Amino acid sequence: MLIVENLHAGYSNSEVLHGVCLEVKTGSVVAIIGANGAGKSTTLRTISGLLTPTQGRVLLNGQTLHGRDAAHAARLGLAHAPEGRRVFGPLSVEDNLLLGAYRHLPALFGYKKPARPRLDTIYELFPRLKQRAAQQAGTLSGGEQQMLAIGRALMGEPSIMLLDEPSMGLAPVIVHEVFNTLRRLKAAGITLLLVEQFAKRALEVADYVYVMERGNIVVEGTPVQLQQDERVLTAYLG
Amino acid sequence: MNKRWLFTHGTEVVLLGALGCLPLAINTPYALGLLTLLTIYGVCLIGLDVTVGYLGQINLAQAAFLGLGAYAASLSVTHFGLGIVAALGFSFVSTFLVGGLLAFPALRLDGPQFALATLSFSAITTTTLNEMEWLTQGAQGLHVTRPDLWGWQFTAAGFYWMCLAILALVWLTMRNLLNSQWGRAFEALRDSPIATDAIGVGTYRHKIAGFAIGSALGGLAGGLYAFNFQYLQPSSFGYDLMIILLLGVVLGGRKNLWGAVVGAALIVLLPNLLSNPVVFRSFALIGVIIALLSGLEKYRQQTLRSFQALAPILAMVILAVGALLIHNTEDWRKAIFALMLFAVVVGLPEGLMGFATRRLAQLFHIDADSLPPSLPLEKVLRPQTQSPQRLLEIQQLKHHFGGVKALNDISLHVMTGQIHGLIGPNGSGKSTLVNLITGLYSPSGGTIRFRGQPLPLGSLYKIAHSGIARTFQNLQLFSELSALENVMLALRDHYRVPLALLLLGLGKQQQTQAQAKALALLEWVGIHPLAQQRAKDLPYGAQRLLEIARALACHPALLILDEPAAGLAHPDITRLVEVIRHIRQCGITIILIEHHMDVVSELCDVVTVLDGGKIIASGTPEAIKREPAVVNAYLGVSC
Amino acid sequence: MQPTIIAQIVVSGSLIGLIYALIAYGFQLTYATSKSINFGQGELVMLSTLFSLSLLNWGLSYWLMLPLGMLFGIALGLFVERTAVRLALAQNSEGWILMTIILGLFFFSSAENIWGRDDHPFPSPFATDPISFLGIDITCQEITLASGVFVIMGLIELLMNKTLLGKAFAAVATDRDAAQLMGISARRIIMLSYGLSGLVSALAGILVAPITTAGPTMASTLILKAFSVAVVAGLDSGFGIVVIGMLLGALENLASFYIGSGWREVPGLVLLILALALRPAGIFGKAIVRKV
Repeated sequence: MLIVENLHAGYSNSEVLHGVCLEVKTGSVVAIIGANGAGKSTTLRTISGLLTPTQGRVLLNGQTLHGRDAAHAARLGLAHAPEGRRVFGPLSVEDNLLLGAYRHLPALFGYKKPARPRLDTIYELFPRLKQRAAQQAGTLSGGEQQMLAIGRALMGEPSIMLLDEPSMGLAPVIVHEVFNTLRRLKAAGITLLLVEQFAKRALEVADYVYVMERGNIVVEGTPVQLQQDERVLTAYLG
Repeated sequence: MNKRWLFTHGTEVVLLGALGCLPLAINTPYALGLLTLLTIYGVCLIGLDVTVGYLGQINLAQAAFLGLGAYAASLSVTHFGLGIVAALGFSFVSTFLVGGLLAFPALRLDGPQFALATLSFSAITTTTLNEMEWLTQGAQGLHVTRPDLWGWQFTAAGFYWMCLAILALVWLTMRNLLNSQWGRAFEALRDSPIATDAIGVGTYRHKIAGFAIGSALGGLAGGLYAFNFQYLQPSSFGYDLMIILLLGVVLGGRKNLWGAVVGAALIVLLPNLLSNPVVFRSFALIGVIIALLSGLEKYRQQTLRSFQALAPILAMVILAVGALLIHNTEDWRKAIFALMLFAVVVGLPEGLMGFATRRLAQLFHIDADSLPPSLPLEKVLRPQTQSPQRLLEIQQLKHHFGGVKALNDISLHVMTGQIHGLIGPNGSGKSTLVNLITGLYSPSGGTIRFRGQPLPLGSLYKIAHSGIARTFQNLQLFSELSALENVMLALRDHYRVPLALLLLGLGKQQQTQAQAKALALLEWVGIHPLAQQRAKDLPYGAQRLLEIARALACHPALLILDEPAAGLAHPDITRLVEVIRHIRQCGITIILIEHHMDVVSELCDVVTVLDGGKIIASGTPEAIKREPAVVNAYLGVSC
Repeated sequence: MQPTIIAQIVVSGSLIGLIYALIAYGFQLTYATSKSINFGQGELVMLSTLFSLSLLNWGLSYWLMLPLGMLFGIALGLFVERTAVRLALAQNSEGWILMTIILGLFFFSSAENIWGRDDHPFPSPFATDPISFLGIDITCQEITLASGVFVIMGLIELLMNKTLLGKAFAAVATDRDAAQLMGISARRIIMLSYGLSGLVSALAGILVAPITTAGPTMASTLILKAFSVAVVAGLDSGFGIVVIGMLLGALENLASFYIGSGWREVPGLVLLILALALRPAGIFGKAIVRKV
């Protein structure tokens, strides 16, 4: 479904990614793990088009994403829940969700009715969001904002979802909840590309794992294979 | 006496000499009038360049300051009978004060709002000059006779020579000022006001001073303007003049004294050149050729957007076509200006002289200024030895963002000479804690004591002066300054030569010494070969090390490193660990925020773990690793 | 001092103030999406008005001219965005300030040469006879002006607050990257905001021209007032801009009537100085927060 080939990218004067290759198959959950600053988030940002790669290709269902902006990728069915959640703080929870389905809804009036079934699905998944539908998104707690960010991404009924550090800055209990959600998404057959610092937890949900170091994929394999890798064990699974 | 020295100073002497001799060759009143106006605008544009170029703010008030200066000089002559020197002094001082006053509120604003505020100020000025008829004669205009200079009656050429002398004086003093610590501070606060405060170089006073100096030069030029034309009308200092002045600075080139004078020459001569159709047509043709050449160059580099290459060409083609069709160029003067400005702003953002100096330096192989040998490190970082005691004590520190508690009742202390690690998951409050200690935020509650004294809370500048330096997780370098200048700026204890002597050019030795000191620090962190490169052109790892060198230049007792290893490759991390260890050996206490657990265990004496805005554990790295709460919240899973 | 006279002065002053507010509203629209404003907005007002005047002179009816004039305004707004703003925004620089000033200069000079330097009367289809209402005289022109301003601002506020597109505007304003990830093209939203800004400028010009006449310099005082309104009110609230605009217009009229016509500009200046000194971000504006 998603193919990334030899991706090079970076910021103004420093290259962060030095030729990343990865693949996500339909219906699978793929995780990228690695230390802070290894280039995990940059990989996701380059895939979705927030960053323009200097070299390499990104293909989603055979269509090219590289060299186009992020809105293009979103219209092709790629959802990206970015690092730090990035909910629209001044807007209400429901408005945030509605914007997640922007490309499917009429832009002016009469968008509420077609959005209803989508909203109901999300509210079923995250009952807490329904209670807070009218509240400003910026006033939610970190965990709730993460739910909202995931819900907002799901509203567009994406064919693949990129999740960047969903557990960042959350209390352990909430992290647990987030990973339960991910399991439910997996059970529902949603294709996921997950970036996570909590390597152990990521391995629990993933079908396939890439380990990044300094802008390169250094190890890849199924969670079982990785747990037998001496180097990965000491460096990431302590 | 090297090539560079000859090149820079020689051309200055040639320029001034040529300008001085011109009246001997062409002595028509018309030509003299143009030359005089050139020098006056030259002074004014050097002033405007301080705000537009160095401070990096779009200043739309310079025409108003020119007007204020003109009226101040005239009125002081007509009402108080001042002589010409005193009158010019009066216009300089009064606009200096008004400029400083205007800067006070305006410096709280950023780009567009600053432009709006200065534009409003211009409107206020012209209206006031118009309405205060009892003083200024309003729209009728004010006549003033040029006073004598100590009994000596000016001839037209004599007045021109005086203006030229003033221009030369302004040029020299401003060159001395802008090449000193002051000039660097002006540029620094444009690139990162936060870092400027954090290294203890006050943003506010430099911004106010910069704006006041720029305005005062406008006022001085205004005084000359008044005595040149001997007739003033408020409407001459409005929007139109302001645009012409901006045109001069942008065409000539920002951050460049030559640019200001060449810009002045252009805005004085262009209207005359353009009124001759043949000259105008050849001008337009040259414009098209330049635009085509530079467009082609940009197209080859491919890093620039196509708009940047194409738009100037299009503008110049329109100009050329217009030149063939239009006979009365005077009517289209503003449109012609606009097209030329457009092409220059898009295609040659550095201006004509910026472009020319760069090209000439390449052509004649002029190297960057040579550097003095670096000082031995002991002379720069005097080792501090102190008995172990509590250097920093934090008591029940709280911080809220809106309703969210980012930090809740944090109490900890840091011992002298130790490396104190601060770890925790992302968003656990580490950066907030650092921002509170260094004064970027004011705490919602609690106290911080440093060396037994309460720390002045909520002021980066004051806290920097009490001996705390920091680096930033998201780099805050002065990106347009060279690596060396970044460090030189932070050596603030070093600069002792008073401003008056600096202006006279007596800061040379101090400058060389500062270079030697800064070079020593760069050598120490291992990036001295890159000393003269602009900070934004350095590789990422070098930028991180540069931030550390800059913080060390502040001679801190406590150094806070906020994720120094983030984004570094492995060899760079090894180098960083070395550097940090060295810093501690010099007796500087360190707070280290870090994600790489191996770095933390290798370096830290004590580690405090934060989670959800609270301290969940503290102790030696070994003890921390076994703490169940830490394993759960943070370690257990990764790193 | 008769209360009706005061009321009369206040009402006719605040009506002109509505035009200041409408132009300032044009600033707010683009500031909201891209943190940039068109410093040559006055030239947009002027050019659209002169264009509309030509349409009328070619024999078009007022009601046909109105949409065409506004379309012209939209086109100008889009032109400004493309030539002067987009590049600077992409480079994260403030070059757009200079670029929009330059473009304004070009527009001004073109207008001078195409339409001449003189002012032309701008016809209005409405009777100029005043209607008396509670002792206050209001002309049909003034009623049209007020209703025009309120209708267009009402419509745009409706668009901003009640439609999904409006929410997309807010999303782009809060977080451009995150909005892109929702499939909202930030570039199109910014273009749209410049188009709308051009539209309100054109309308402001067409509405005010019967009172001020149309000519290249018609907007030079209006635009300074609009800048004052923007500085005093801040650029975050449409409501605040209307309030300050009307207040400024009313104060000007009062000062000029009771103190002398030379004092017309003074209340605006006092408001400006106060706002700059006390609340530089504007009375209804949000304060700036420092971040690392």
